[in-house]
Amino acid sequence: MARQLVKFRSSKHNMDYILLTVVLFLVGFGLLMIYSASSYEAGIDYNDSGYYLKKQAQSTIIGFAGLFVMIKFPYKALQRFDVIAIVVSAVLIMLVKTPIGITRNGASRWINVGFTTFQPAEVAKIGVIVYLASIIQRLESLGKNVVRTPKGLAIILVPPTIIAGMIYVLTKNLSSAAIIMGIAVAMLFVAVPDYKWFVGVGISGIAAVAALVMYVSNTDMSGSSFRLERVKAWLDPESFSTDKAFQTLQALYAIGSGGIWGKGLGQSMQKRNFLPEAQNDMIFSILCEELGLFGAMTIILLFIVLIWSCMVIANKTMDRFGSLLVVGVMAHYAIQVILNIAVVTNTIPNTGITLPFISYGGTSSLFLLMEIGIVLNVSKHCR
Amino acid sequence: MMVKNSTGRRNMTVQKRKTFVLCVMSIIALLLLEVRVGYLMIMCSEYYTERATELHERERDIKAARGRIIDSTGTILADNKTVCTISVIHSQVREPEKVIEILSRELDLSEEYVRKRVEKYSSRERIKSNVDKTIGDRIRNYDLAGVKVDEDYKRYYPYGELASKVLGFTGGDNQGIIGLEVTYEKYLTGKKGQILTLTDAKGIELDGMGERRKEPVAGKDLHISLDVNIQKYATQLAKQAYETKQAAGVSIIVMNVNNGEILAMTDVPEFNLNEPFTLIDEFQIEKVQQNDTPEEGQTAVKQVSDQDLLNMMWRNGCINDTYEPGSTFKIITAAAGLESGAVRLEDNFSCPGFIIVDDRKIRCHKIAGHGAEDFTHAVMNSCNPVFITVGLRLGAERYYNYFTRFGLKQKTGIDLPGEAGTIMHQPDKIGEVELATISFGQSFQITPIRLMTTVSGLINGGKLVTPHFGVKAVNEDGTVVDEFVYPVSDEIVSENTTEKLKYVLEQVVENGGGKNGYVEGFRVGGKTATSQTLPRGSGRYIASFLGFAPADNPKIMALAIIDTPQGTYYGGQIAAPVVRQLFENILPYLEEIGYDE
Repeated sequence: MARQLVKFRSSKHNMDYILLTVVLFLVGFGLLMIYSASSYEAGIDYNDSGYYLKKQAQSTIIGFAGLFVMIKFPYKALQRFDVIAIVVSAVLIMLVKTPIGITRNGASRWINVGFTTFQPAEVAKIGVIVYLASIIQRLESLGKNVVRTPKGLAIILVPPTIIAGMIYVLTKNLSSAAIIMGIAVAMLFVAVPDYKWFVGVGISGIAAVAALVMYVSNTDMSGSSFRLERVKAWLDPESFSTDKAFQTLQALYAIGSGGIWGKGLGQSMQKRNFLPEAQNDMIFSILCEELGLFGAMTIILLFIVLIWSCMVIANKTMDRFGSLLVVGVMAHYAIQVILNIAVVTNTIPNTGITLPFISYGGTSSLFLLMEIGIVLNVSKHCR
Repeated sequence: MMVKNSTGRRNMTVQKRKTFVLCVMSIIALLLLEVRVGYLMIMCSEYYTERATELHERERDIKAARGRIIDSTGTILADNKTVCTISVIHSQVREPEKVIEILSRELDLSEEYVRKRVEKYSSRERIKSNVDKTIGDRIRNYDLAGVKVDEDYKRYYPYGELASKVLGFTGGDNQGIIGLEVTYEKYLTGKKGQILTLTDAKGIELDGMGERRKEPVAGKDLHISLDVNIQKYATQLAKQAYETKQAAGVSIIVMNVNNGEILAMTDVPEFNLNEPFTLIDEFQIEKVQQNDTPEEGQTAVKQVSDQDLLNMMWRNGCINDTYEPGSTFKIITAAAGLESGAVRLEDNFSCPGFIIVDDRKIRCHKIAGHGAEDFTHAVMNSCNPVFITVGLRLGAERYYNYFTRFGLKQKTGIDLPGEAGTIMHQPDKIGEVELATISFGQSFQITPIRLMTTVSGLINGGKLVTPHFGVKAVNEDGTVVDEFVYPVSDEIVSENTTEKLKYVLEQVVENGGGKNGYVEGFRVGGKTATSQTLPRGSGRYIASFLGFAPADNPKIMALAIIDTPQGTYYGGQIAAPVVRQLFENILPYLEEIGYDE
């Protein structure tokens, strides 16, 4: 009894309030930026400058509900959802091709559940994290390094690969597929003691990318595929300024014209129809334009704190499953933030990835907040 | 309980280390992206800011005030009037019906026309430009949302027709189209200012984002040598002759023989500078006549466009057209003869009323002949056979050399656009007959200003001046920007020849054919001319008189040319009185204003 009491008290004290504070700040700041970036266009398109802000605020409230549920919900119960998580993810993804699926801009990425719409890919991300944490923990508990056997690797990697493949094929969402594979590889990386495989894969990956870039930059692009043209546009945005690199170039204008101090909150010019849908993927550029280099650095630093906090929680947790869950969430955040900022700054070719908490998007913020809830829940059980 | 075995514990330790590695790798990636962002926002900031500003700003021009044209008395001949441009900004219009109603009423435009523009979805739609300032102010006072009243300048010529072909006028963009407005464009034209307005991607001006203004720079005032009083008087006399003689045109030029400053230049009929695109009556009639050809099929060919007629109306006969000078050109033959020694004033001649050159019999204007006369009297009588003799004495080559030396082959370089060149025989094509006709001013063509300039050079002591109007360009605040300097040639004739010429030309006016040019109380020299225009025998003549004063120390020269007068057509009878009347008025005036200095 006494032990339990102590444990109960310590659990309250151990919850990572720094992480919670950072997340609260990012969410609040995100709402501010969504309003700033979208109000001009929303005012013209919907005659309501708060159109996107209101929708995002609703999602955020649901998201916080999800966050508190996940803090309270005993996370260890998730361990039983390993296969279910994958199956549910797969089923939801397939639903986009059914009548309740919604197609926008030529891609079926949403499903309509009556009162709201959401993206199954976001569910799949958390599903894959739960599945991997659970399955790795179970394989590890068998001992004898089962994880490193071909069978173990197959159990770990095949389901996420299938999910990623479905996302890519059915919803034409390369970036979500890449994020899921990234999460899987990151969790596997953490779970096994080896480095050389990852280093090998990493080096060959970089070599392949370099070769592709060399090839693309030296070939005539007439009649080539959509993705190759994106690469070409990435290498030389100014000559694709009217179509392929339009968004990228407008984002660069926004970032560059921000300067060190920025134009001040609300003062962005690029959001005035120059950068279309400024509240979405490219919102970081509006942030740079309005708040300058200091604003941009502050936001990146907050994400670094967030990732660092996840790492600390993961490493303080005695429970392997909880630890792996946190690693998965950390990997998810890291991948999404890095890719988003790299796209916005034209460091890598353009692909649609949102910036957690700052970009507009209901499903994304709900599941991101739920993931944080899980992490906070795990943090309660830290030593 | 949680970690069951040693492998598990070891793997847990490994996992912690690898989690840390993963985290650090992510943080390194983020820090590298910070560097990338920093690079874009510091190193590339200027470049992207410039590109972005270019994208965001729409510019509107602010017209600059054009420099004024001011005559030698300080009278403003070309000025600017403030006018307004009325435009609407679609996105800011609140009460379109009221706007349409008021604008169509105030601007006297059809409701349909205004409606089309008000309802057009554009960033800024111009309704009407060059609107009177009073109307513009009135529209501004309605305080209609979305209606913009911008002030700009329109050229305004206070004297209307006066010196129209000299001053010229400006077009819609305030650029010079003819006359001095063209020549001095770079001084007169100001630097446009700009209003830079921030707009969104659709070009809609953003409220409350402010404007950047680049202030316009006004053009320089041009001071010219023209004297409005003399110009007025010359124009009046030209008009009078134009009407009484029902002439095709009358030109009068008044010039300072010593420095080339032109005091007056008129070429009647003139047009109204404030309505330069409205054909004056003469050309309206011409249009009707020319286009009224009965034969079918020819109408299309003969059709004269309004633009052609406008160009004809704007032509300045004093410099744009050439003519056969006739007897006034005998001054040149006399100068060449005296200078070369081919003839002396005392040389005796006999005129039987004609002279045979080669196989051609060329008549004197006095069919009975002038009989025995010395060279002085030959000039006074304007005797053709004597001048032909002098010309033949000189010979084609020498005559041609003098022609060249007196500058007659070149343009004068007057500061007006479109000066016509001399039409002259090739030196090797000048036979005896051609030389004979050249000697009394026929078979070649020069502009009136060319004749005046050369004669000025012959009587002012031998220097060919450049006729001109422009004196100086002055800033708004009165500081002189540029004082114009014009080339003056080396001596073209000796002092001795100049003296003799002045003497004989005074004799022409005192006792000879130019006595109608005599002005009481002043010593005037001059020469008359009556030349038949081509084709010969058409009965069309050009009567002219070239006079200068004072005869012993010439300062001022006037040339009057009456094109195709009806009735009497002798220069001595119709052109000389014009110059006399002019001199009677302007010589005392010039003395009074101390023009000698």
